[in-house]
Amino acid sequence: MAKSKPGSMSRALVRRETISGYLFLLPSLVFFLTFVVYPMVMCVITSLTNATMSAGGTSDFIGLKNYVDLFQDKTFLKALVNTVIIVVVSVPTVCVFSLWVGARIYNMKNWACSAFRVIFYLPVVTGSVAVTVVWKWIYHYYNGVLNYVGTNLGLWEKNINWLGNSQFALGCIILILFTTSVGQPIVLYVSALGNVDQTLVEAAQVDGATDLQVFWQVKWPQIMPTTLYILVITTINSFQCFALIQLLTSGGPEHATDTVMYYIYYSAFTLYKYGYANAMGVILALCIAALSAVQFKLAKSDS
Amino acid sequence: MNTGVKRTSVYRTITLILIIVVAAVIFLFPLYWILTGAFKTPASVNSSTPEWWPSEWTMRNFNELFSKRSAPLWELHVPLSEWFTSDHSQVVLLSGPVLPAAFRWLINTVFMSVAAMVLTCGTAALAGYALAKKRFIGRAVLFSLIVCAMALPKQVILIPLLREMDGLHLTNTLWSVIFPVVGWPFGVFLMKQFAEGIPGEILEAARIDGGGELKTFTTIVFPMIKPGVGALAIFTFINTWNDYFMQLLMLTGTNVLSMPLGISKMMGEFGQDYGLLMAGAALASVPIIIVFLVFQKYFTKGITMGAVKG
Amino acid sequence: MKTIRKALALVLALCIVLTLAACSTGSKDPDPTKAPDPTKAPEPAQSEPANEPAGLAANLVLATYPVGKMTDEATVKALIADFNAVYPDVKIDLVYLDYTNGDQTVNGMIEANNAPDLIFEGPERLVANWGAKGYLVDLKDLIPAGTYDVTVGSCTNAEGAVYELPVCQTAHCMGINKDLFTQADAMQYINEDTHTWKSTSDFLKAVEAVAAIHPNVGVVFCGGQGGDQGNRALVTNMYGGHYTNDSFTRYEANCAENVKALQALYDVNGIEFDSGIVGGDEINLFCNGTLAMATCWNVGAAKSDTQGKTANFEIFPMAFPTESGDPVLQGGIWGFGIFDNGDAAKVEAAKAFAKFMTEDEAQYKKIVEATGYWATRDVSGLYAGDEYEDLMTEYGKLVPFMGPYYQITLGWPEARTAWWNALQRIGNGGDVQTELDAFAAEANAAAEAAEAG
Repeated sequence: MAKSKPGSMSRALVRRETISGYLFLLPSLVFFLTFVVYPMVMCVITSLTNATMSAGGTSDFIGLKNYVDLFQDKTFLKALVNTVIIVVVSVPTVCVFSLWVGARIYNMKNWACSAFRVIFYLPVVTGSVAVTVVWKWIYHYYNGVLNYVGTNLGLWEKNINWLGNSQFALGCIILILFTTSVGQPIVLYVSALGNVDQTLVEAAQVDGATDLQVFWQVKWPQIMPTTLYILVITTINSFQCFALIQLLTSGGPEHATDTVMYYIYYSAFTLYKYGYANAMGVILALCIAALSAVQFKLAKSDS
Repeated sequence: MNTGVKRTSVYRTITLILIIVVAAVIFLFPLYWILTGAFKTPASVNSSTPEWWPSEWTMRNFNELFSKRSAPLWELHVPLSEWFTSDHSQVVLLSGPVLPAAFRWLINTVFMSVAAMVLTCGTAALAGYALAKKRFIGRAVLFSLIVCAMALPKQVILIPLLREMDGLHLTNTLWSVIFPVVGWPFGVFLMKQFAEGIPGEILEAARIDGGGELKTFTTIVFPMIKPGVGALAIFTFINTWNDYFMQLLMLTGTNVLSMPLGISKMMGEFGQDYGLLMAGAALASVPIIIVFLVFQKYFTKGITMGAVKG
Repeated sequence: MKTIRKALALVLALCIVLTLAACSTGSKDPDPTKAPDPTKAPEPAQSEPANEPAGLAANLVLATYPVGKMTDEATVKALIADFNAVYPDVKIDLVYLDYTNGDQTVNGMIEANNAPDLIFEGPERLVANWGAKGYLVDLKDLIPAGTYDVTVGSCTNAEGAVYELPVCQTAHCMGINKDLFTQADAMQYINEDTHTWKSTSDFLKAVEAVAAIHPNVGVVFCGGQGGDQGNRALVTNMYGGHYTNDSFTRYEANCAENVKALQALYDVNGIEFDSGIVGGDEINLFCNGTLAMATCWNVGAAKSDTQGKTANFEIFPMAFPTESGDPVLQGGIWGFGIFDNGDAAKVEAAKAFAKFMTEDEAQYKKIVEATGYWATRDVSGLYAGDEYEDLMTEYGKLVPFMGPYYQITLGWPEARTAWWNALQRIGNGGDVQTELDAFAAEANAAAEAAEAG
């Protein structure tokens, strides 16, 4: 990153740069301030009150009570852990799997590569609601395909209640999230690998490098920017997984699939604890902001 | 190389391809199930033994989908009329033929995705360029704010957002789903990363040539960050397409629903009509899959991450 | 490159056209700056209720939950057309709700100052939730003469305000797979003429008998936003327990009878606690023959295209098992609630609509038949000549067993969730008494909070 100090510029230049800079920023800033920053500020304010849903009801300022309560709320802590598990499990697996598939298919014949790319992209474009419904049926306790195949192959003895069992439910959710997340990374990796400088690859091969060495020492650095982008979007997607939980388990059984996002929605619209839900939102926002900042710093030092 | 090594590598390739094929089958299955399910009778959809191929093909689900809800195909509103009517309803200038609402829902979904995509790409490209190449006051603060907010899930700001939409008279309009997507700063971040790669000398040269700021942007900057814009466009489109959460909260009237939401509001008292759901899903996904098939070359060629760096 | 440019231009052009077309539609609510004033009397502060139809003009929003055909566009629009023949200047837009997301949708609408004017649902939402929170208008003066007192009582809160104008009602019951029960020789435990079980122990014997020939007999489903009447009724009936106190102010589901009942359900062969499904799923499983009985049954499910009608066996409706031989069925009562959106004209028009639908007998019969349930006052010739006339007669035998409507206890939405969580824990081997105590504590906390709020 080229760093030119504002101090070294003339004042007129600074003014000109500032005006044109803000003019360029204006359209984006309007939306950002109106639909992200302002609600976030309101969210922080509401989180300090006991706001609830009631006609003409006023809310009282209660300080940090919501935050204190949050950290004694077992369900919230459980939801926090679940959210972390989803992100920690799904982000690396999505990245590794899509890189692996991308590396396998990018130099296949054109039609084969296209076919695979489309297939892996299908769950993304089919729409989360429809895909979720199909998976619900696949996991079905009594007559789902998974149990049908599993018991017939003798993998397990009797039907397993995949979504109704707190041991398996979160894993099932992560698997669906996985299938709906790998499409885009695969497409990106295929194109990134296709754009790798062939002369470098050939040079390495002439030097007697094995395929694996070529991959890690020549191709990997070149697709690094793609990897970073994929890391970021997968993290975002994993945090936002909502429809899956809403449609499949509603956070059950026994809060095994509650995530912070779902619990916010639930606290607000089923329990009517607006202040509390907003406090949760603030905590989550802080966590995510910290994570994003760290990710950004890491990416910066890497390149 | 001796043949032994060759043979093991052939075996390895075969196993790997086999694994990919199995994975592909798993990925294909939901679509297959949706497409066949759309033509199954209620009894076979609800059958206790899976019916791999419909024993009896029926149009019942599509009939339900097309006969149970209707809506004008499109409507032209007087812009900003909701600010002037007493109950903040929009004044309809012209409206299309009343057809099954499913078509309107499809149009709504496409509209939201395209509008969000275009607005996001446009605003983010401008802003990203400014953040990368302009040295203005407050830049560092703004950029940190953007980095911190770029992964923020919308659930966090749910209730304030609902109230705000009311204040802006946007409740129950498609814009209430579109605008928060546009405001989401991930796009700006991405565009900034791309714009960093533009050599300063080129910009300087353009300035000396006397091109205006906007001209510099359209003729020099935009072409250089186009691959990034492509990536952002696809990401925004798909995310809006699948943004069930915002749609669920913001959209209520039959005329403004998206496909999945519209279908979910057709469900009966006693649970889900899966056949109907599949019919709706099939109707919604087939066009976008065709678009993807036709344009996939451009989709994938346009996107290169070469320019992304920290 | 040319094609893609053309395509992009096309997309852009389309986008511009659609931007103008700003796909969104009217149906917005009154002045957002005017929040409903709780201190104001619920009655609109306007002149007389206009008997002059010509005087009424408003744009209303009617939100309906899927009760029978109440979310079927043709049916509802026909009802509205009847109304518009008399009140041509009242325009009614529809918002359809479903039981999965409906509550959240309505809450979101309220929060966005976009609440519907009319809503069609039951007391647990109208009286115990939105009514209790002060959003609804008292409809006492609209109750038609002859409406059953019990029904009106169920629509009334502790202070005597009526937040639901009842339209129809039903008794939720059980359904059994008669073919399977006959095959297992389990019909001997049933009084076929009265649709009752001979006793609770006979019920458990019947379950065991069917379990011997069929893997899954029934489930205690532990999730959802509705359908809780099913296993609530089963549990409270078995040994004569109760769910709330008699004045419907506190939850007492942790009574000894309920503990015994849940323990018996947990122990008996053939019944499983299933956290993975909701009431609707149970009905689906029953209809496709996976389960031999459903606890979330009623006549509406029997008439459903995607459920009752897909069954290839005889469905036999049953009351819940009791020791005393005196089952108490959970009622379902649906009707109109009217939101006070701070606009007297709208309230007026909404009241006119509700009154129009319920007062005149011919019109009332139309809307009752649209819901597919029974009337809330004596009406002759309901369902005469209807394809379901016989079915209505058969299921009608269970209606007299309808018990008190305790779902109007405050804090009901929170209590329902607590109930599911308690059932989930019991299903996973939790101690029944402990978990029901936890339920009662959680639910009563919500009731107290609602009372204070």
